[in-house]
Amino acid sequence: MPLMYYLGLSAFMFTIGILGVLLRRNPLVVFMALELMFNAANLAFVAFAAFHKVLDGEIFVFFVITTAAAEVAIGLALIIAIFRTKHSVDIDQMSELKG
Amino acid sequence: MSALQWVFIIASLITVGAAVMMVASHRMMHAALWLAVALLGVAVIFVTLEASFFAVVQLLVYIGAILILIVFAIMLTQRSTEAGSRLNSLAWGAAGVAGVIWTALTYVFIRWVVSGTPMQELGASFDDVVLLGKALVDAEGFAVPFEVASVLLLAALIGAVYIAFERKGEGS
Amino acid sequence: MVASTLPVEYIRALLPEIGLLVLAGLVLGLDLFSSEVSRQRWLGWVVAAGSLGIAGLSLAFAYPVASPRLLWGGALRLDEVGFVFRMLFLAGVGLTALFAMQVKDLAGKGEFFALLLFSALGFSLMASAADMVMLFLAIETASIPLYVLAGFYLRDIRSAEAGLKYVLFGAVASATLLYGLSLLYGMGGTTRLYDLEAALRQAQAPLEMVAVALFLVLVGFGFKVAAVPFHFWAPDVYEGAPTPVTGYLSTASKAAGFAVLLRFLIGVFAEQTAFWTLLIGILATASMLVGNYLALVQSNAKRLLAYSSIAQAGYILIGVAAGTPLGATGAVYYLIAYLVTNLAAFGILTVVEQVLGSSDLKALEGLQQRSAPLALAMLAALLSLGGIPPFAGFIAKLLVFGSAVEAGQIWLAFVGVFNSIIALYYYLVVLRTIYRFTPGVEPISEIKPAWRLALGICVVGIVLIGVWIAPWYSWAGSVARVLWVY
Repeated sequence: MPLMYYLGLSAFMFTIGILGVLLRRNPLVVFMALELMFNAANLAFVAFAAFHKVLDGEIFVFFVITTAAAEVAIGLALIIAIFRTKHSVDIDQMSELKG
Repeated sequence: MSALQWVFIIASLITVGAAVMMVASHRMMHAALWLAVALLGVAVIFVTLEASFFAVVQLLVYIGAILILIVFAIMLTQRSTEAGSRLNSLAWGAAGVAGVIWTALTYVFIRWVVSGTPMQELGASFDDVVLLGKALVDAEGFAVPFEVASVLLLAALIGAVYIAFERKGEGS
Repeated sequence: MVASTLPVEYIRALLPEIGLLVLAGLVLGLDLFSSEVSRQRWLGWVVAAGSLGIAGLSLAFAYPVASPRLLWGGALRLDEVGFVFRMLFLAGVGLTALFAMQVKDLAGKGEFFALLLFSALGFSLMASAADMVMLFLAIETASIPLYVLAGFYLRDIRSAEAGLKYVLFGAVASATLLYGLSLLYGMGGTTRLYDLEAALRQAQAPLEMVAVALFLVLVGFGFKVAAVPFHFWAPDVYEGAPTPVTGYLSTASKAAGFAVLLRFLIGVFAEQTAFWTLLIGILATASMLVGNYLALVQSNAKRLLAYSSIAQAGYILIGVAAGTPLGATGAVYYLIAYLVTNLAAFGILTVVEQVLGSSDLKALEGLQQRSAPLALAMLAALLSLGGIPPFAGFIAKLLVFGSAVEAGQIWLAFVGVFNSIIALYYYLVVLRTIYRFTPGVEPISEIKPAWRLALGICVVGIVLIGVWIAPWYSWAGSVARVLWVY
């Protein structure tokens, strides 16, 4: 199968991820869209690794998955901390920091 | 068409559809479930790329850990689910940015001659977990990134514990 | 038998990181086994003394003597770039620890200092990373502690929201950067930065695809240095974060961003120099204009300095845009000067905020009557930011504008000078607020010793870097020189 198929899928996922990040206002949905973006990059890395027959790309994916998990843990912890104070986690309602 | 191609086509259609549904769905729990489907699709595509180890990691870490965390967060903050449907006020701008990025990426991928040629069979020796493991502890390989990843996880752990515990006294 | 085959060079290349890790472990240990009172008193000193010690050790054992060497299988490069920037980060950590240790809600918290050290470890690796995997991990290792530090006052909703905003924007930026890196890997087939340039040329990578990769990578780095149009997070995060953290974010984090930006652009995109110098020139212009115009209308001192730091990123980008060794020298010199200057400014804000409980510009009214030394330190910092001799910012601005002229980008130098004049206006407005006689203000009774020491170091630094140019210039020059050695 040509590399193009995988790249096309990866580009589409990346775009949908960006669209989700820009469109949706709830930080939890933004995090989900972010996972799509990271997955798009992972897919590209694995496809390129298979294409070049060099393992480096797969090792990159290994580390990306690690950092994505850490990032989500911190982000969700902050979301829950904010929710406990404000009972809302909408980005638009973060009025304290506007202007 | 070979069986592998059919698997790829079906998996990628499911992934694409699930990704679109995730962004479009109004309820957060639905979005999370669509994300699970999309991540599953990516895992299948990893298998077609002969990266079965990463397919398993994808299942374990993304669906088993990250997605479960997100679902927990959704359930903990459920009162704000209704707000999840609201869109950014600059929706057209967002669509424009995404459109430009998609056009640019697709254009360069199509123009890239290499991407059109079929990929060769990788052979059994490629997707070797032993090779991967050795590269991670080899001083001439990825030993430093591997150690740094442990520092990163430690820092994230300390940060998350701090966030969780700092607020404990205030809860009541 | 790893120990017997590991050359001593390998350990030397990681010496500052090992030191920071040990120090972080020590801080966490002290946090566990000491009383609240002694933690309040000693943790900050331990971190400051420790970072000074690590800087000394690096100076003695990790100074890059020979030509640049790739170590750890190409993951790290032992060269002047890594060395000079590490010194910068260590200075940043030490001074930030001194400022933070007298802030009531930060002083006794071992987690705060440990996270500070972890992020410094990440910065330090960013500056010496020569591999995309290493670079990405270093950026994440630096960022994740910073997300928590920005939201450290969890009970203050502004701080918690600053943390969340920083995570969201930061994660989007790193996902975009990652996609750019994946394209580069796809074209070159290697993750080693210093092989990539040749690999791209050899694979005859299509120009458009390289350009797209460059765009995506620039989004990630632009976020780190808070350049327009990737600056949206900066004002909110800077305002909401604890003030010492803001100082650290605006200096060390920015410097780390510039270190990778310089290494990446010069090392990997050498073929496309004409293209990226134009792009960076546009980013520089936009950053200066947007930063300065929005700074004019701010009423909160932290926000004002946030917009000012966006504009400062613009001036530094002029040096990068030159694409010449002189430009890189100017950028590094600027970063050195900017570190002490901005840390001083945010340090004074920390003091004012602790005493008066506010970071509005109004709180600065009559600062001269409250404490003449504080007002004098602010004078030095603001005039240095404005680029007035004999302070550090003057030489720095001279170098970057000069490099733009030398590189034939006279328009960029012109925009820079024009913006410096606008910026000077609002710096002077702040100074007028400080020095105008205000009836009924009470003097600040006591400025804590740690604050005095930190501010003293900063002010001496501001004057010294502005007057005694040679050592800093030769450091910056050595960085610029090795950037072009592949």
